[in-house]
This record gives sequence, structure tokens and C-alpha cells, in this order.
Amino acid sequence: MSNKSLLVVDDSATMRQLLCMTLTRVEGITQANITEASDGREALDKVKSGRFDLVLTDIRMPRMDGLEFIRSVRSELNDQALPIIIITTKGAEEDVQLGMNLGASGYLSKPVSMTQLREMVTSFLG
Amino acid sequence: MNQEPAEILNLFNRSEELVEMLRKGRAFTEELMCENERLRYRVVQLEAENIPPPDELVKEVERLRLENGQMAHKLEFLNGKFQQVEAENKDFAQRYVEVEEQNESLANLYVASHRLHSTLDSSEVIECIKEILLNMIGSEDFALYVVDDESGELLRSGYEGETAGGAVKERLTMGEGPEGFVAMAGQPFFGEEASQEPCACVPLMIKERVVGVIAIYTLLSHKKGLSLLDHKLLELLAGHAASALISSKLYSMADRKLRTIEGFMNLLRVPQGGTNV
Repeated sequence: MSNKSLLVVDDSATMRQLLCMTLTRVEGITQANITEASDGREALDKVKSGRFDLVLTDIRMPRMDGLEFIRSVRSELNDQALPIIIITTKGAEEDVQLGMNLGASGYLSKPVSMTQLREMVTSFLG
Repeated sequence: MNQEPAEILNLFNRSEELVEMLRKGRAFTEELMCENERLRYRVVQLEAENIPPPDELVKEVERLRLENGQMAHKLEFLNGKFQQVEAENKDFAQRYVEVEEQNESLANLYVASHRLHSTLDSSEVIECIKEILLNMIGSEDFALYVVDDESGELLRSGYEGETAGGAVKERLTMGEGPEGFVAMAGQPFFGEEASQEPCACVPLMIKERVVGVIAIYTLLSHKKGLSLLDHKLLELLAGHAASALISSKLYSMADRKLRTIEGFMNLLRVPQGGTNV
């Protein structure tokens, strides 16, 4: 699982730090493999210019929200293969359905269980 | 020889009958002897079949019987051991889950305290507290009250959600409402049900001094309630939030004073080649 690149997208610096700390506990992931973005637009620019193996994104963000970001990756960039996990405070069934229908690969509700997150990340990175 | 011919004929007939009887008796005797022979043969056969086993075989059977008994004991012992190990395994798995949960809480606390103490700007500290309450505790509707040093009242310094933004007052006196009561008592309050409003009120304290209160009115819809770990995390966070708030307040006061003094110093300083006013 070495040399895997991850993109963490959240407007909360606290959440980004927590996610990064959790991700570095997954075998083969170091801080150097993780790129951060604070909103959907910044994330989209980074996806356009770089290569990522997995993206973790929040939904509620300024400028461009997580759902719009996923829609852009799937339709504008026509990238259907990039796994995108949504991590959000919106945990209702219809929110999950909406996210998955837009092309999300996984969905976790905040406050996120770190064990669950690690398991999901490991399953996507193989 | 003077006997009558009829009498002689009668005697002859009787002797014929006797001969016939003797013939039948002989055939019957022969049949019995045959059967006797067959039965004797069968007896010999059966005796041959019932030959007692040799000593080695008896010993081997005895040894195997003993071994079987020992194996049964061992099996019973191993079954007991297996059940014991299985129970221990379950216990370890349970403890692993508990340790993981505690690790998670510690990670949350570490990140939260790191973020809270990474800035000396009070508005950033308040934003950070809001982020923590939303993302780590799972609060949807909450307010942060800070004690106003001049009036001694609780001032709402940050909030999220409808209740905190509308229904609750912006300014509370000590002892007023659950928030004021918690601030006065210096003891946290946790509602027994998640639907209770507020479902949690935690004082922000530095030693014995209350500097504010965090009031959580509702949790995120998918969060069923606050766990004991959430209670602990909230209480620990409250301590860090209190010191971060006070530090930022003191820093801004000190900064303001420093700027004032520097202003005075600049006024008093004599410009080169000029005259002191």
C-alpha cells in the first residue's frame, strides 16, 4: 500500500488534522502522502493537477460543497475510478442516498469512528 | 404242527407287521444317529469358534482401553482449556475495542487541545470550540457563553443552530436557566435523554474559576445520545477551552496595553535634529 496519495477536503482545520492523524495510523500512509484542501474548488484544482488514490471530503464547505465537488470529478473530469469517501455531519438516510447517487464510493457520518474510517480507507487502497 | 391254517396265516401277518415296525424303527434310529452326528459336528465347530484370544491380544485390548480412557480425559481437559481460551479471547477482543475507543478519544482530545492552544486570537479560539463541538462531539445546536468580567454575566460568544441562535438569550445572569445554574454551581450537567434541552451543559473552568459555559441543545440526528466517553471528552475539552479563551483574552489585553505604551514612548522620543514638544 506504499506511495498512495490521499486528498483530505474539509473547511475545518481541526477535522483535517484529526483525519490526517488517523490516516497516518494506516500502514503505508505518512503525512507526506496526504494533501489537504479547505473547500471543493481547491480540491478540484488539486485533483486536476495531481494524481490521487483516494479522496476524503466533507459536504458543507464554502465556495464549493462536497457534493458539487464529486459531481465535477465524475462529470467534468470524467473520472469514475477515483474513490471518494464523504465524511459529514449529515447522516440522514436521504443524505447518504444523495451522496452515493452522485458517485461517492463511501459515506461516514461525523463524529466519525476512526476504526471504521481506517477500515474503509484500507479497503479502498487495497 | 396241528395248528389251523387261519391261525398260521394270522401269525404270519403279525410277524410281517413286526418286521415292518422294526424296519421303521431302524430307519428312525439311523435318522437320529445322523442328526446326532450333525449336532456333534456343530458342537465341535462352535467350540472351535469360541477359542479364547491369545494373551498378547488381551493385553493389547487392555492397553488400548486404557489409552482410550486417557484420551477421553485429555479431550475433556482440552475442551475445558479451549473454552477458557475462547472466553479469554472474547475478553481481549472486548478490551481491544475499549482501548481503541479510548485511543480515539485521546486522539480527539489531543487534536482539540492542539488546535485550541495553537492560536492567541479569541475569535479563532471560539471558532475552534465550535468546530470541535460539531465535528467531534456531534452537536447540531449549541452555544458558547463567556463570563463578562465587568458585569459578571454570561455573554453568548458563539453558537450554531436554531435554538442557540434564537430561543436562548444572548445574555444570562448567574443562576439564570440551566446555563446560568451550571456556571454558578461549576458542575457539568448531562441530560438523561438526548431530546432534553439542553442535553448537556459544561462549565469552562480554570481551577475553581468559571470562565464560561458550553450548552448543547440538540445532537446531530444520527447521534442517539452522549456516551460516557463523550462526557469525559466534553469535560476535558472544557478545561482546555477555558485556558485557551483566557490566554487569548490576556494576550489581546497585553497586546493592547503594549501598543498604548509604545504609542506613548513614540510620543516621548525626541526626533533626531528636532525639538522635544
